[in-house]
Amino acid sequence: MTDTLRRLMRTPQGVLGSVLLVGLILACILGSTAAPYQPEAMDFAGRFAAPGVKHWFGADQLGRDVLSRLLVGARSTIPLAVAATFSGAAAGACIGTLSAYLGGWWDEAITRTIDAVMAVPHLLLALILVSTLGKGSLNAAFAIAISVVPSMARVTRSVALAVRQQEYVKAAIARGESGSWIVLREMLPNVAAPVVIEATIRVAFAVMLFATLSFLGLGAQPPASEWGLMVSEARRFMHQAPWVIVAPSLAIAATAICFNLLGDGLRDALNPRDER
Amino acid sequence: MSPVLEIRDYALDYVTRGGTQRVLQAIDLAIAASEVVGLVGESGSGKTSLAWAIMRYLPANAREAPAGRIRLGDTDLRAASARALETIRGRRMSMVFQDPSTALNPTLTIGRQVTEVLVRHRGLGEREAWREAIQALEHVDLRQPEALMRRYPHQASGGEKQRIGIATAFACRPELIVFDEPTTALDVITGARILELFGRLREETGVAALYISHDLALVSRVADRVAILQQGAIVEEAPSATIFRHPLHDYTRRLVAAVPRPERRLVSDQVADDGLLSATNIAVRYQRKRLFRAAPRPATIDVAIDIRRGEILGVVGESGSGKSSIARALTGLADYSGSIALAGRRIDSAGDMDRTYRRAVQIVFQHPDSSLNPRQTVADILSRPLRLYGGDVSTIPSLLEEVRLPAAFAQRYPHQLSGGEKQRVAIARAFAAKPDLIICDEITAPLDVSVQASVVELLLRLRLANGTAYLFITHDLNLVQQVAHRIAVMRNGEIVDLLGIEDLRSGNMHPYTRELIAASPAPVG
Repeated sequence: MTDTLRRLMRTPQGVLGSVLLVGLILACILGSTAAPYQPEAMDFAGRFAAPGVKHWFGADQLGRDVLSRLLVGARSTIPLAVAATFSGAAAGACIGTLSAYLGGWWDEAITRTIDAVMAVPHLLLALILVSTLGKGSLNAAFAIAISVVPSMARVTRSVALAVRQQEYVKAAIARGESGSWIVLREMLPNVAAPVVIEATIRVAFAVMLFATLSFLGLGAQPPASEWGLMVSEARRFMHQAPWVIVAPSLAIAATAICFNLLGDGLRDALNPRDER
Repeated sequence: MSPVLEIRDYALDYVTRGGTQRVLQAIDLAIAASEVVGLVGESGSGKTSLAWAIMRYLPANAREAPAGRIRLGDTDLRAASARALETIRGRRMSMVFQDPSTALNPTLTIGRQVTEVLVRHRGLGEREAWREAIQALEHVDLRQPEALMRRYPHQASGGEKQRIGIATAFACRPELIVFDEPTTALDVITGARILELFGRLREETGVAALYISHDLALVSRVADRVAILQQGAIVEEAPSATIFRHPLHDYTRRLVAAVPRPERRLVSDQVADDGLLSATNIAVRYQRKRLFRAAPRPATIDVAIDIRRGEILGVVGESGSGKSSIARALTGLADYSGSIALAGRRIDSAGDMDRTYRRAVQIVFQHPDSSLNPRQTVADILSRPLRLYGGDVSTIPSLLEEVRLPAAFAQRYPHQLSGGEKQRVAIARAFAAKPDLIICDEITAPLDVSVQASVVELLLRLRLANGTAYLFITHDLNLVQQVAHRIAVMRNGEIVDLLGIEDLRSGNMHPYTRELIAASPAPVG
């Protein structure tokens, strides 16, 4: 673990990604205490205040401080996106490994089902799920998790097929181990590296998907300061006060870039090339 | 006369993250015209690095000591420019690789790959080169060379591909050819024929050759002189006729002692006629009949095998003869038809194999690197059979001790162990179940001779202590003659010969068995 971290820190993507990640984590933890104003504190005199000493990132149509809303909103955006991705990735990894382990007819059935689900675009799938389950952050997160599952199952299955051929798996079968032991304890730890890498990169998609759902009014509901929702609300005043839309957009972009960089760094760190 | 290849005081380091690692040191080696020098060493001794140093194709992190010299005839190879080397490689020196299946480009026809050398180095036109290539292929005893030239590598067998590699290497009449374990990836009989071919070609062409191998017995037959490489240094160099009889250096002595000699039996006891496991009509099929495809030939046909308590039954045969399929059927890893009876209990399919059967029949696989889960510690690995078959986890230290590993190894991960140590852990895992029969599927094949000898010695000692029977699958006929009570010879999925070791001594055997034995190089002297 520490070894992986050290290798991660040797790549520029890893360093930059980690720095951004630490910033995001701090925003999630300390956001509400560090925020200079209450996120819902309105100030009609200061509507559309331009960025300056008083409001670093300006103020919105109700005079709310954009920076404070961003900081507080981090907590309702990032943790949900991360949790959604990793739970979806875990489920996908289990399905993919199981599919590779069972092989034959079962593998065929599982893979074809995954293909069918993958044929529906992520956003559409998420929209269908949310409109069935109802609006709300948790439902949006659930929809994102489900949309991550098929592609993760695919990625995992291809790695697991190689692991399935390893003799330690054969040894476990010859020993009479149960299927769940072989999938969860023998195979899954050995497919973890690509799953972690892929999942990290997927977090970026999840953040954006989550923002999109909120933007469309299906995720977080006002007056929450979720970033996608902030973009959505600021859209009407784009020409009047561009900073209101720019700040949350940049925050979303920075998060996406952070996880992409981290994923790239992890790819190098977890697949050490020949050390010679 | 000046030697064809002369290496003087050559040293090589690899720069790694962990620091600089010395790979070769103070190498002095000369090969005269029409002389074959064998280079023998265990894995990691630097054999292949030396080959690449001669071919001037070293990885970017290689650092050569400035004093060393490598000369080909009157050319200083170390001083040669990249452009000069392009004309030297393939023209004046060439190389034959270990694995013929990866040495040829799968997307080019064989003809393209053979003519390429001729066009490039001898300036022949396409048509001339084609004619010349056909002759070259004919010369290495390939049948129907014209048809072969139009085929792609995957349409040729391993032996054919290696012949093509040799034909290409000889095509420009080079001064020096480096052979890097050219028969290791091939079957015994195919390998023996390749060696015959090599012997004939070197007589005809008088080429100088460096023959690299880990197999001392084989090299002593092929080469005029043998150099023994240990950890990057040549510890002994002697004519091959004397190296077996009078090894001087300690390391050579150990190597010579470790080479299996068929006439030196390691097992002296007789086993009583007390049946343990009998399998009849075992047929293993990997693919079923499909809608538009006939069922392929089964991997084994009607194999019948019986093993007595405490017996070592050797199973030999070339690759693809169905040896491993038997192992898979007996352990329930492959579906089979036929029936297996263990101590009188019938087992008709893998689904019938219950805990009692699985405990009684254990398997040790060929590749120690892949048979241990890299994410589990040795203790985890050993605790599984103990938990499954009602053992006691606290016996792990004594299990490790039985296979002569320190108890502290329990906390290690497989990548922290050497190949031989990993194989010992795999053996310990099999013995943890207190089995009646252990199937050893080529378990010594990937190991160095000296490690192989110690693993075999360990197996025999454990057998004496526990009375376990072994199904010893191998392609090493010399080794199997040392340890087995009876030997089953397989070909094309059938057992063609099943004979006791006494019959083997008396020469009463199937012609194919005789051919196999003739093809296995027994040590000289």
